[in-house]
Amino acid sequence: MRQELNGEHVKSSDAEIKVSAEAFEPGADKVAAPDLKDPSLVLSLLEADQVVAAKQRTHFGRRNLSVGARVLLWGLRIYVVAMLVIVLISAIRAIHPVP
Amino acid sequence: MKRLKQDASEPSFGPAHPTTDVAAASPIARDLAGLLTHEDVDRARDRWRVSRARWAERRSKTLGRLSVLWLLVGPGVLVFLGENDAPSMLSYSATGARFGIGFFIPFIVLTFAMGLVVQEMTVRLGAVTHRGHAELIFDRFGRFWGFFAMGDLMLGNFLTLVTEFIGIRAGLGFFGIRPAIAVGAGLAVVFAVITTGRYWTWERITMGLAIFNALFVPAAILAHPNWTAVGHSLVTWSPLPHGNPFDILLLILADIGATVTPWMIFFQQSAVVDKGMQPRDISAGRFDTTLGALLAAAFGIAALLATAPLFHHGIDASQFEAAQFAEALEPWIGHIGAALFALGIFEAGIVAAIAIATSSAYAFGEVVHTGHSLNRPLREAWPFYSILLGSACAAAALVLIPHAPLEFIVLIVNVIAVLAMPPALAFLLLLVNDREVMGEYVNGFWENAAAIAVTVVLICAGLGFGIATVIHMG
Repeated sequence: MRQELNGEHVKSSDAEIKVSAEAFEPGADKVAAPDLKDPSLVLSLLEADQVVAAKQRTHFGRRNLSVGARVLLWGLRIYVVAMLVIVLISAIRAIHPVP
Repeated sequence: MKRLKQDASEPSFGPAHPTTDVAAASPIARDLAGLLTHEDVDRARDRWRVSRARWAERRSKTLGRLSVLWLLVGPGVLVFLGENDAPSMLSYSATGARFGIGFFIPFIVLTFAMGLVVQEMTVRLGAVTHRGHAELIFDRFGRFWGFFAMGDLMLGNFLTLVTEFIGIRAGLGFFGIRPAIAVGAGLAVVFAVITTGRYWTWERITMGLAIFNALFVPAAILAHPNWTAVGHSLVTWSPLPHGNPFDILLLILADIGATVTPWMIFFQQSAVVDKGMQPRDISAGRFDTTLGALLAAAFGIAALLATAPLFHHGIDASQFEAAQFAEALEPWIGHIGAALFALGIFEAGIVAAIAIATSSAYAFGEVVHTGHSLNRPLREAWPFYSILLGSACAAAALVLIPHAPLEFIVLIVNVIAVLAMPPALAFLLLLVNDREVMGEYVNGFWENAAAIAVTVVLICAGLGFGIATVIHMG
């Protein structure tokens, strides 16, 4: 079972998948569920950076934002705050109309 | 390729897109094997099913492909049917009741096409990085921008959750069920679904509930729409809506907000990660997302068609709530049709309450680095489940406050969603164009062009609303 799974999981990209000979045997899709108490089998089914412990240990580093990106983010932030103020005033006026 | 920052004390880790053989043979595999969690084992079980289905696909292409798709659909269908929530269906209903069949039918299709462009990027981001959106924003842009993004998300999510319980209350109100009981029933469903401690079970139950969004289809058929007029409007975008420009603009924004919102980005990426999808699953993820968009567009248009008789009979629906829509429709679509409409609003509120509360919980867990998976049992990931249930409970409690201007709140929530969307899209675009994060799965020219076009449309719609509001107030 383990060998079959490993044979199928050689590459994680769609383009390059090596399949074991057993995969073409009739009934290969009807094999019993694997014993997932075996840690190596669990690891063979998941990508390395999919394991919770690995994700806790590693993080993506901070990227340096270009001036353009900073201007974009600040501009959008100002846009959101200004628009929210307008929506808020509009909502208050709708609830409590000025006579 | 993918740049990972490690704790100095930890051993070196594998390459950007490691093969699973690399994982098993990695120098730290022994360490990891000792640290495997319940979540990892459940995810591996899901991956094994997908592997088995892929074997079957090589022997019987059609059945095997269907089997793979059945296993991999979920996040896309859920995010779009979840976004066909109570305020969204009420926006479509208000649109149908006030403007009838015309411009807004193709416009709804357009908004779902915009949603599809956005959500496809979250599939790639989740499948390639195995990280949620909130976690990536904090990692790549730092706490300052991270807290802004979280602020937008949490505010929008909470207000939207309130409106979901408005929908639940109003939908069951049609059947004479008291508000407290209706809201309590909604909370009970949210709680029952998360007690499974298994992402797969949660996803299938929620999808089972979400398919009842189709209740709007028989309600629309009972309204006997003029199908020739529907086809004509789809092709010609006419007749154009007439009336107060401010009201039209408000409904345009509400309909956009009914389809593209920040919580969808955070939810689908986290769900893709929780489901354990890998880069090889991206094409299935695209199918899932497209299927969700098509179903949601069809059901949204059905809600509009169901309420179109109100427009043709000149009934003022400007202050209607869900139950009032159903009651007003009864003379034209019958009691069964009205009941289906009310049940549809109830269902829309339930599914969205589950999805939006889960979106908040995922984001919280990712930011504070606590367990954030539906594969974890309640006792193990109690902070995650506390946020999920706590936000739902708080929103439900607010709905029971009497004399709230419900219809206006419902429309305003979608408007706020539109306003908060451009910054969320900016983060998404920066991430999905980040070669260190995405490697070969980075956005191409057309994907960027489409995403930038969506962002510009949203900004213009927001600015238009702002200008119209200022003029309207003056």
